Amino acid sequence: MTFQQLVFFLFAAVTTLSALRVITVRNPVHAALFLVLTFFSCAALWMLLEAEFLAIALVLVYVGAVMVLFLFVVMMLDINIARLREGFAGYLPVGALVALIMVSEMVLVIVSGAFDTGAPEPAPATYSNTEALGEVLYTDYVYQFEIAAVILLVAIVAAIALTLRRRTRTKYQNPAQQVSVDRDDRVRLVKMKPEERD
Amino acid sequence: MIPLSYFLILGAVLFALSVAGIFLNRKNVIILLMCIELMLLAVNINFIAFSHYQGDLAGQVFVFFILTVAAAEAAIGLAILVVLFRNRSTINVQDLDEMKG
Amino acid sequence: MSFAMPDLIPVMPEIAVLAMACVVLLADLFLKDEQRNVSYYLAQLTLLIGLLLTLNLANEGSRLSFGDSVINDQMATLLKSFIFIVTAIGFVYSRRYLKERGIFKGEYYVLGLFGVLGMMVMVSSYSFLTLYLGLELLSLSQYALVAFNRDSSRASEAAMKYFVLGAIASGMLLYGMSILYGMSGSLDIIEVSNYLIRELDNDVALIFGLSFVIVGLAFKLGAVPFHMWLPDVYQGAPTSVTLYVGTAPKIAAFAIVMRLLVEGLGHLHGDWQGMLIILAVLSLTVGNFIAIAQTNIKRMLAYSTISHVGFLLLGILAGTSQGYAASMFYAIVYALTAAGAFGMILLLANKDFEAEELDDFKGLGERHPWFAFLMLLLMFSMAGVPLTVGFYAKLSVLSAVVRVELYWLAIYAVLMSVVGAYYYLRVIKLMYFDKPLTNQPISQQWDMNLVLSINGLLMLVLFFLPGGLMSLCIKAINF
Repeated sequence: MTFQQLVFFLFAAVTTLSALRVITVRNPVHAALFLVLTFFSCAALWMLLEAEFLAIALVLVYVGAVMVLFLFVVMMLDINIARLREGFAGYLPVGALVALIMVSEMVLVIVSGAFDTGAPEPAPATYSNTEALGEVLYTDYVYQFEIAAVILLVAIVAAIALTLRRRTRTKYQNPAQQVSVDRDDRVRLVKMKPEERD
Repeated sequence: MIPLSYFLILGAVLFALSVAGIFLNRKNVIILLMCIELMLLAVNINFIAFSHYQGDLAGQVFVFFILTVAAAEAAIGLAILVVLFRNRSTINVQDLDEMKG
Repeated sequence: MSFAMPDLIPVMPEIAVLAMACVVLLADLFLKDEQRNVSYYLAQLTLLIGLLLTLNLANEGSRLSFGDSVINDQMATLLKSFIFIVTAIGFVYSRRYLKERGIFKGEYYVLGLFGVLGMMVMVSSYSFLTLYLGLELLSLSQYALVAFNRDSSRASEAAMKYFVLGAIASGMLLYGMSILYGMSGSLDIIEVSNYLIRELDNDVALIFGLSFVIVGLAFKLGAVPFHMWLPDVYQGAPTSVTLYVGTAPKIAAFAIVMRLLVEGLGHLHGDWQGMLIILAVLSLTVGNFIAIAQTNIKRMLAYSTISHVGFLLLGILAGTSQGYAASMFYAIVYALTAAGAFGMILLLANKDFEAEELDDFKGLGERHPWFAFLMLLLMFSMAGVPLTVGFYAKLSVLSAVVRVELYWLAIYAVLMSVVGAYYYLRVIKLMYFDKPLTNQPISQQWDMNLVLSINGLLMLVLFFLPGGLMSLCIKAINF
């Protein structure tokens, strides 16, 4: 077994096991953390495939942003975990059966030899995956790049339109008013007649 | 050297796990969303593996866009989840039965 | 490193719609609530500009751009034009409804326009990547629109279901695409097609990828057994959004089925025909039978959509250019008819009344004979009764199926349409033979009345003069 194979099996095992935990743990926070582990070990596998840029992007974008968003939402909502897990065992046989059938079918197809391509030459040391991707991304794929930008814009508009609320009870500070305040607004000097003592 | 089929089998296993997860966690919408992310990860592994073994960058470009779209999708999905929670105070799929027929 | 300027002419309409959508987004920031009509008019202007630019390209011929990932051909021109028209009709119908529910906002139109952009990208896509991005642009806009009425708990439930199932569908579609990419080594539809010509031996891996693609497409189309989301989304979404989701995207969905299955995987026709037959038979059966049991008209129309999807698939699975043209005609006619039917629901609705129960149509013939007549035409057209265009559409699909000697399938489809006619005619019975439940006046707006009248009468006109549209469809396919 070469070193590369060792690395592959190690990370593939971690990926599979943590993915399994994602779908079976009780607590959504734990599930999110296991998903982070899955992404992380997958990024290592992508390194093996010489997709360095995407491996880094996966860690930065997914682990760094998307999963944090998940954690935010999980913690923001007050979820009754116990109720959510009721009947889990009932679905287990069905789920396991579906997974087993799918895996065996897919593996049968994959090992049937349809995908036997020779191993590629390792890229030379001067090759930069990021540069190569960047070159095609802004030239050959510029149209798709723009569409992706629109998709992100839609996500922004939609997320804001759906969740932003002006609460009527919230108290706001207006710094401009705070700064422009002068003495008369704050202190009122009242002249009173001295009161007669009984 | 690692054969291409190893990566494809890993992708297939992850894909099947995500589908099983959708069956198992029919109640918890957040874990459903995570299963969808897992499914896209399986697809990404496929694309990158093919791209590497064919010496063709297009697969990696596709993965780049899938990552972008998935991020946008997660944002909208979570926004809908928040709206749902505000209206219902639950994310249990079984409570989502106002419409039948 | 060299960069050749891509040919921008084929994507002029897309560029214009994108730019205008951003204008709407920005202009809306500076508008007060009572000036929201400006956003509405800008959105309609955008659709008009898009339509004119698209028609301007009509005689350009087939043209690829951006490294063969975008195509502008007759089919793209025809389908895009109808996407603009149907969306514009929908915007006219839904204005009052949105105002009365306090969701008459600029974002509604921005998301609607971005969805239109997504449909345009889908229609013109000529590579897996472009197709996927267009599809996601449309889907994301739709998820947000369904949840747009934030205080409605039904709407958010519908949006959640739509989102989860839609995302699973995308995952399936992508997995299939990844297998096809692995086999053919390219994302371009034209390259995949060339690969299939070279390697004619039917590989098991190709079928494997194909079946995932079909499952993904069936989810998006709403074909049985992947239809679970459709009734809930139709019922739960605000009616104006149901109108949006239920009309123009069907045209775009037809386009991606054409691009993927026919233009890309046309050489696997023998393999996907069987899968589509199963989907079509199930859709026709489930759609028609369950629709009978509904009391909510939006839900009833959702199940009727499922059965119409079955008909749409019939034309495609025939695998002849006659069948494709018939399916295209069917998709366009269906979108126009559904727009009218949902328009009627919007017309009857008012501030605190949704008019979404079948009983709300009782006695419409007494309350307002003209609108009842229009609804009669629309329902006849959906049922496929002669003298309306729906009959002609069903007939042309069936004749394509008969031509490829799938007689049993054609007979089954006819039987199912007879079942379907029952619940369409029930609406008509309620309108003309039952006493009205309310006597509220129907609020009149000249623009809505005019468009709705044209929309309803079109069902008659297109029956007597279907030649023009049909010949456009045939030309678009054979081009």
